Amino acid sequence: MSDALERITNLVALLLESRSSLTAEQIAFALEGQYPQGAVAQRGAFERDKALLRDMGVPIESEVLGGDQAGRTAYRIDRARYELADLRLTDDERQALQLAVAAVRSTDAQFGLLKLGGSADAGATVSANVPTLDALPVLREAAAGRSELRFDYRGTSRSLQPYSLLLREGFWYVIGHDLQHGMLRTYRVDRIEGEVEVGDPGSFLRPDGFDPRTVFASDPKELGEEPTARAAVLVDAVRAAFVERELGIDAVLARRADGGIEVQVACANVDAFRSWLFGLGTHAEVLGPPAVRAGVVAWLAALAGVG
Amino acid sequence: MLPWLMERGEASVAEMTQRFELTESELVKDLELAAVCGLPPFVDEMIDVFIDEGMVYAGVPRVFTKPLRLTAPEGFALLTAGRAAMELPGADTGGALARALRKLAAVLGGDGVVVDMPQPPAAADVIAAANDTARLRVQYWSAMRDELTDREVTPRAVFLDRGRWYMRADDHASGEERTFRIDRIEQWERTGVVDPPRTVKAPLGDDWFGDADLPSVILRLAPEASWVAERYPVRHRRPVPGGVEVELTVASERWLGELLVRLGAGAQVVEPEAWRGLGARCAAELLARYEASGS
Repeated sequence: MSDALERITNLVALLLESRSSLTAEQIAFALEGQYPQGAVAQRGAFERDKALLRDMGVPIESEVLGGDQAGRTAYRIDRARYELADLRLTDDERQALQLAVAAVRSTDAQFGLLKLGGSADAGATVSANVPTLDALPVLREAAAGRSELRFDYRGTSRSLQPYSLLLREGFWYVIGHDLQHGMLRTYRVDRIEGEVEVGDPGSFLRPDGFDPRTVFASDPKELGEEPTARAAVLVDAVRAAFVERELGIDAVLARRADGGIEVQVACANVDAFRSWLFGLGTHAEVLGPPAVRAGVVAWLAALAGVG
Repeated sequence: MLPWLMERGEASVAEMTQRFELTESELVKDLELAAVCGLPPFVDEMIDVFIDEGMVYAGVPRVFTKPLRLTAPEGFALLTAGRAAMELPGADTGGALARALRKLAAVLGGDGVVVDMPQPPAAADVIAAANDTARLRVQYWSAMRDELTDREVTPRAVFLDRGRWYMRADDHASGEERTFRIDRIEQWERTGVVDPPRTVKAPLGDDWFGDADLPSVILRLAPEASWVAERYPVRHRRPVPGGVEVELTVASERWLGELLVRLGAGAQVVEPEAWRGLGARCAAELLARYEASGS
């Protein structure tokens, strides 16, 4: 754990255990060596810790003392006000979460884990860089609580009954019933402009067994006017195994003696199809249909400055 | 009274005064005395006893006896971490993670997060090799050289970035630690050699792509090509009339050539001058195949 996290944990522990509120001096004394020397530096660090705890949803309360410590400010955490009821994780469940958090490396996840009694582990063999966006917790709560949303997207206002968030290929999507278009729609969360307005919870029902993964084709090449459009592509032996694994054995139309394969590829989305094709460099060639092959030739010719 | 209390860990003042027939002030005095003096069989330890809002707590202080309320970002981050971890091989043997996530979702008012993180075929074995510090013999597609290469590597860390899986591994041919794309591993097997463990931190954020030794290119992107700035880490970005100008790290000239062909008229190389004609050259090379087979 980093120094700041360790100090915060000890501060929270101290204030929770303490029978009475504590002054800043008493706190610094109890957390010996963890606060910097010097009144000003110590004060600054303590103020930052308080702000951090407030952001974590654990405000430190203060009162001005009377009696023999009259005028001094003392601090406490009211345990009962900030407790989460009914979450009893067993040790193996907490451990499993700990491993998960170690893989994602998000400060929010680490603090959350701390609150649940786990500790933030330093190393993990596998990790994921998961993009974070400010709107995500709000969108998640709205989806879980069935609150309607209103937000601006590409310049126009949208109304959505959010069913779920989906993280796919490094992008976050919010998927739900679009009230203006009367159908299921998918929005890229990083393209939402400005703030999201959240309505009252329990405003709609989500269809049973809804799975956001099945909502839009995971193959971007299919996202076009004719989702079933297919092209035949010849792939050289050197990339054949890779392509066959990617598309599946059912996509193989023919095998050539030299090890090359002819495969059937979705081409409804021309941009995505071209991206896929050019990713194979000189080792792939569109065989047909004629319009698709001609389209690729025209694209290359324009770029090559030919004809 | 104390053993009863110690066994339970906590009890309300009301319950204790009633059960032991004490007034509240008598109870408090007794507890304070016990806390200072100890009582058999606890004589060698100070019992930690305190009273807080009508409840008496005793025993070893467990800081988080009840977890503190999670903020919205924390709840979201925990669920996402959990759901992402569920997608990894071997993540949830015994079902502990699934149970933890169910409980978490219950207190957070529902779930709402789905993570789709398919892995390439080699991923599970690469992760296992990294955990065992075992050496692998792999057949790897080198995009830079446009050919399959054989090499021995010891995977150290595996990470997911923008939907692609990578491994940081010791590349024994070059003696260097390198980053490989796991989906470019065609064949793999353990050599039987186990290397000494070494902690390698997978890169976080965009810094890993910005290797100081790699060249960069400045591209002017039209709006339809702006996705490039979302897909690849950019070093600099500034709006210009008609689009945006970005500075990208160039993994290899071949990689850049392929990118330029994909973008077509949507991208122009601004600098370096040597690469201004790269897109056209690569397009001509690809076009040659179509002309040969009769375009």
